[in-house]
Amino acid sequence: MSHYGEGDLILYYYGEGRRRHDIERHLDACPACAATYRDISSTLAMVDVPAVPERGDQYGLEVWQRIRHRLPEPQQDVWSKHSAGPGRAAWTELATWWRRLVERTFRADRLAILAAAATIAIVAFVAGRFWSTPSKPAATITATQAPDGGSLPGLRQRILIGSVADHLDRSERMLTDIMNASVPGDISAEQRWAEDLLTTSRLYRQDAVDIGERSVANVLDDLERSLIEIVHSPSQVTAADLDAMRRRIDAAALLFKVRVMSNELQEREGTRSAGDASPRTSTRKTS
Amino acid sequence: MDAAEAAAVLARARQGDSDAFRALVERHSRTVFRLAFRMTGNEQDAEDVVQESFLRAYRQLGRFESRANFGTWLYRIVANCSVDLMRAKQARHDQARGEPLETAADMPAADTPDPQRLAESAEISRRVQHALGALSPLERAAFTLRHYEGRSIDEIGRTLGLGTSAAKHSVFRAVKKLRHALQPLRSLANRGLAPQESQR
Ligand SMILES: [Zn+2]
Repeated sequence: MSHYGEGDLILYYYGEGRRRHDIERHLDACPACAATYRDISSTLAMVDVPAVPERGDQYGLEVWQRIRHRLPEPQQDVWSKHSAGPGRAAWTELATWWRRLVERTFRADRLAILAAAATIAIVAFVAGRFWSTPSKPAATITATQAPDGGSLPGLRQRILIGSVADHLDRSERMLTDIMNASVPGDISAEQRWAEDLLTTSRLYRQDAVDIGERSVANVLDDLERSLIEIVHSPSQVTAADLDAMRRRIDAAALLFKVRVMSNELQEREGTRSAGDASPRTSTRKTS
Repeated sequence: MDAAEAAAVLARARQGDSDAFRALVERHSRTVFRLAFRMTGNEQDAEDVVQESFLRAYRQLGRFESRANFGTWLYRIVANCSVDLMRAKQARHDQARGEPLETAADMPAADTPDPQRLAESAEISRRVQHALGALSPLERAAFTLRHYEGRSIDEIGRTLGLGTSAAKHSVFRAVKKLRHALQPLRSLANRGLAPQESQR
């Protein structure tokens, strides 16, 4: 008789998974699996849903009061700030964020070598963002190719921008997870996550190449190299494994690039939404 | 607020109308707090998540598909904000101690507990909280969504932006760690009490 794994029994406990009827019969007949299942269910029965502290009717208003002064200006066009002017503030902010990240992850004695490698990567990347023009603002492309904003290239680009921005956010979180992983440890969940991201990334990169978003494709390409490394590393990582992985991520300034590109795409998307919103407003006013 | 009214408020909020956004904040704050509290396990962190989630939602309103459900979209933001906050806390904790957070293997729960104190449910609950606190942010989030929120593995994957397999294994790892951490409680409970009935 073949037994059921812990995972099957956990899913069974939660009413999920396939072969539920088979499992039920097996549990009646097999003392070993029945014992494991009792163990799982008695553990989970101890984890009660916590009582959530009360929040009164005015709570929504209190939250609003706390956040209202922190709301950003609506539809800030940061993209044009980047491309038209020097945009130093935005870059400085990103550079500071990145430096903190490195300082947090690495001890001071190793900082110098890493910082040098990463600085080269960043300078090249930033220079590329300023002096190459593959990523035209979305509005330009729509105006020349699709006056109604609904033609295939415009639509494809629009979908890609939103999807890649989300994809980069998720990748950033996964990479941050790896950067913060404790050692020795099990990174198998992160590896599965990286595997999913890798599949998606390849599709988006191909799309980006097809529609001429070369800088997006380049960042995705860099990202994929790290994802592949994560996927193929052992699940039980030693301090040395993780350190090597982190060094390569840092030397390529990957988190920095991912963050910058994600910001850019979000802002392009915001610019696009603002452009979409204004005709609707004026239509409503005249009708 | 009926569906049409809600759609109108959303449309105005998307165009940067802060009064409309205020209506959304007032309407959803309590739900957001409940999820944030379950995800983070403490009131102060939950309050931080509530604020950060609405700020993030405001910034990302342009990316919200008007056909989608705003509540579902916001739920996803809150879940991810909670994970981010737990990660940031863990990183600060690691930095302060110069070593990783304790793992399930070296938690005090592995000691033999005092049977008398065990009788108090407060003690059980404290140990459960401790065991939950030792999960990784991702494991804790996936477990909370499955165990407290009753979300399916597929929904957890979509909510946290993971594949189904990663979501499933995060839940499995969480349960494995909880079994290990709560093992001493369980054997005592089994000796002293009638065997627990399974949930299903
Ligand atoms: Zn069996």
